Amino acid sequence: MGEQRESMEVDVLIVGGGPSGLATAYHLKQAAKRHDEAIEKAGVGKKVGELSIAVIEKASEVGAHMMSGAVMDPVGINELMPDWLERGAPIESPVKKEVVYHLTEKGGFKLPLVPPPLQNHGNYVISLSKFIRWLGPIVEGEGVDIFCGFPGTEVLYDGNRVIGVRTGDKGIGPDGSKRSNYEPGIDLMAKVTVFAEGVRGNLAKPMIKKLGLDAGKNIMSYETGVKEVFEVPEGQIEPGFLMHTSGYPSRKDATGGSWLYGMQNNLVSVGWVVYLDYRDPLLEPHTEYQKFKNHPIVKKMLEGGKPVFYGAKALASGGYYAMPRLSFDGGLLVGEDGGFLNNKRLKGIHLAFKSGMMAAETIIEALEKGDVTRETLANYEKRFERSWAGKELYGSRNFTAAMSKGFPFPAAIHLAAQEATGGRGLIDPLPVAHTDAHALASLTEYYNDANAMPERPKYDGKWMLDKVSDVYISGTIHEEQQPPHLKIGNADICQQCWVKFRSPCNRFCPADVYEMALVNEQTKERAMQIRFSNCVHCKTCDIKCPFDNITWTPPEGGGGPNYTVQ
Amino acid sequence: MKIIVILKQVPDSETKIKVKGDGSGIETDGIKYVISPYDEYAVEEALKLKEKAGGDSTVTVVSAGPDRTVESIRTALAMGADAAVHVNDPALEGADSLGVARALAKAIQDNGFDIIFAGKQGIDQDNSQVPSAVAELLDIPQVNIIAKFEITEDKSKATVSRRIEGGEETIETSLPALFGCEKGLNEPRYASLPGIMKAKKKPVKTVDLAGLGLDAGEVGAAGSHVKILKWIPLPERQAGKILQGMETAEASKELVRLLREEAKVI
Repeated sequence: MGEQRESMEVDVLIVGGGPSGLATAYHLKQAAKRHDEAIEKAGVGKKVGELSIAVIEKASEVGAHMMSGAVMDPVGINELMPDWLERGAPIESPVKKEVVYHLTEKGGFKLPLVPPPLQNHGNYVISLSKFIRWLGPIVEGEGVDIFCGFPGTEVLYDGNRVIGVRTGDKGIGPDGSKRSNYEPGIDLMAKVTVFAEGVRGNLAKPMIKKLGLDAGKNIMSYETGVKEVFEVPEGQIEPGFLMHTSGYPSRKDATGGSWLYGMQNNLVSVGWVVYLDYRDPLLEPHTEYQKFKNHPIVKKMLEGGKPVFYGAKALASGGYYAMPRLSFDGGLLVGEDGGFLNNKRLKGIHLAFKSGMMAAETIIEALEKGDVTRETLANYEKRFERSWAGKELYGSRNFTAAMSKGFPFPAAIHLAAQEATGGRGLIDPLPVAHTDAHALASLTEYYNDANAMPERPKYDGKWMLDKVSDVYISGTIHEEQQPPHLKIGNADICQQCWVKFRSPCNRFCPADVYEMALVNEQTKERAMQIRFSNCVHCKTCDIKCPFDNITWTPPEGGGGPNYTVQ
Repeated sequence: MKIIVILKQVPDSETKIKVKGDGSGIETDGIKYVISPYDEYAVEEALKLKEKAGGDSTVTVVSAGPDRTVESIRTALAMGADAAVHVNDPALEGADSLGVARALAKAIQDNGFDIIFAGKQGIDQDNSQVPSAVAELLDIPQVNIIAKFEITEDKSKATVSRRIEGGEETIETSLPALFGCEKGLNEPRYASLPGIMKAKKKPVKTVDLAGLGLDAGEVGAAGSHVKILKWIPLPERQAGKILQGMETAEASKELVRLLREEAKVI
């Protein structure tokens, strides 16, 4: 069935319009200008000329799929665009006051000092979706073409060289047939393709495997964050106030942590992150978040408030030793596709910006030389190692491994040693305990009860929102007339999974997409039902399904959450 | 054929509209704007007609609204429209349907037209007045809420269908005429990536009321016959009730009792 597809050529194709992708595009334009001016002056060398740069973004608008805490270290944006504040970048507040609590189930205590990695003086509370919505048009103004509503669905290769990306088809009916408005995706061909998809990119995942980019690296570990933005009574929580907590509702085998950030207009960002190497098959990040929110100390802070926005997102927390090889023939990985995230500092936006800049500089070099093979593109990795970003991530290289041993103990011993030795710690590299997200205990192993089913909290539709109500305030919408974009590999496995684990997808999905529903009362037969239109694109299912039986693929372009202040 | 599409930019139907505290309007912060869905059917029908009519047929989008409207105009151009006229004048902010219709009608007249498609109504204020008023001002026939459209070979007449209670109404009209489009008329096409590239280079003519030879005091908000006094938010929906732990028969009884005694709807 040879289908005629249009193709379009650009110099550089960037997949994903988040901080790393936009930084790549913006810096390419700046660096190309500077490069050509320098050549002009010197009279020798090769100009790169006006570069054609395309960014494809699966969201309907730039920023609509951006979700983060977020506290931003300005070091990245300062380098990318030194006058970002003067140009009106939306910030919620500079960090003004910060506290760290350790929580027990009923109480807790404030740490007398904020641990160094969590010290945020000089940083900014931002809404990442607002920030990116601001940055997008600026990048477009530089002559970059940003195509929203166009996910990449396939990497195009010539042998092992990446030559471009195919965009998703539109107008496919639920049964897979073409609707009257069927619009085939096109082949975007590029000299260099930059993958900036964020956590667990649907293109990067199979590509990393195919090209062996993870060979010799630690398994990438992940976490999932669940977040509500609260509206609280006037003056209750000042913009720029930060609280982080450890302890409750963390468990030894399910480490997590929280944040609570004061934003503008009496809004407060409240969230819970859990490491996805947890073993309890029925753990529910959304429920863990509810427990945190209902802790007396937190509840009191948010008293009189209500959740008004919701979001959830996985994050790639493996750190330095888990970062895949960043360059290959015809392409580069930036941002979270490349593992640019400092889990110790709970930050990644600054690293995303920096990775994009380093990628851009390398691309200019490659285009000048006319060599886009790994030979030249590997300079990106060298740049990274020499940069502050490389040093920062190297300094935290054993953090994830320490945490995987169990928090607070023995993790704290490793962490203290690492703090004292610039990241080296007791063993370097420290072996990771069990960051493999698939490692779940069976019901009988974990609960000693093959029918265990912990109760969910009581929802009241006001303070306590169930997943579906939360999805509603995430602004999520998908074209209903399309096949589910969450692909189950083998339906029989779901049956086995129900028996052994009671379908953890139903629990770990923060958007109530999956349900092993009773389809026959008499026979007690169950079947997997996928409410794909709830999906907030967090990618947890693709990571945490114990049988690796779920593949997250992009839905028809434009579908997904509509984050505005998340 | 000179095919015209009247297009309005509206908040996305998924947007949670928040009324300003003083009731003077809605909070525009964070609103995502899109082409009014019924106008998408109009764009599609215009493009289909262009493909059928062939020759030197063109589709021109005419839209009134502030600067941001250009984004929606570009989307229509990316779908395949050829050119656009954007009436952009701050005086139109808050103008009534008749004022907007006057501005659009003048812009259409200046451009020239053989046939006009519009959405049956804008999904923001649901007035459903502009299409009819434009037709009246241009002194041409109009049929609103069409679900089928056919044109004769010589392009002198069109036959359209309207869904009515219990059946379908078929209407024949001479051209030029204006048609208000209803859901089901067609399946609007997607803007393709190459289409978006091409749209960046297509002409969008921006005019203000003076440029159309209209008096802002008459056509704009100042001359409106209709004024919106106050916006009131809908009352918040109360949480639903789920009847649990009962047999079906018992639950049905309880449901009937609640509908009668609490909700007082039966």
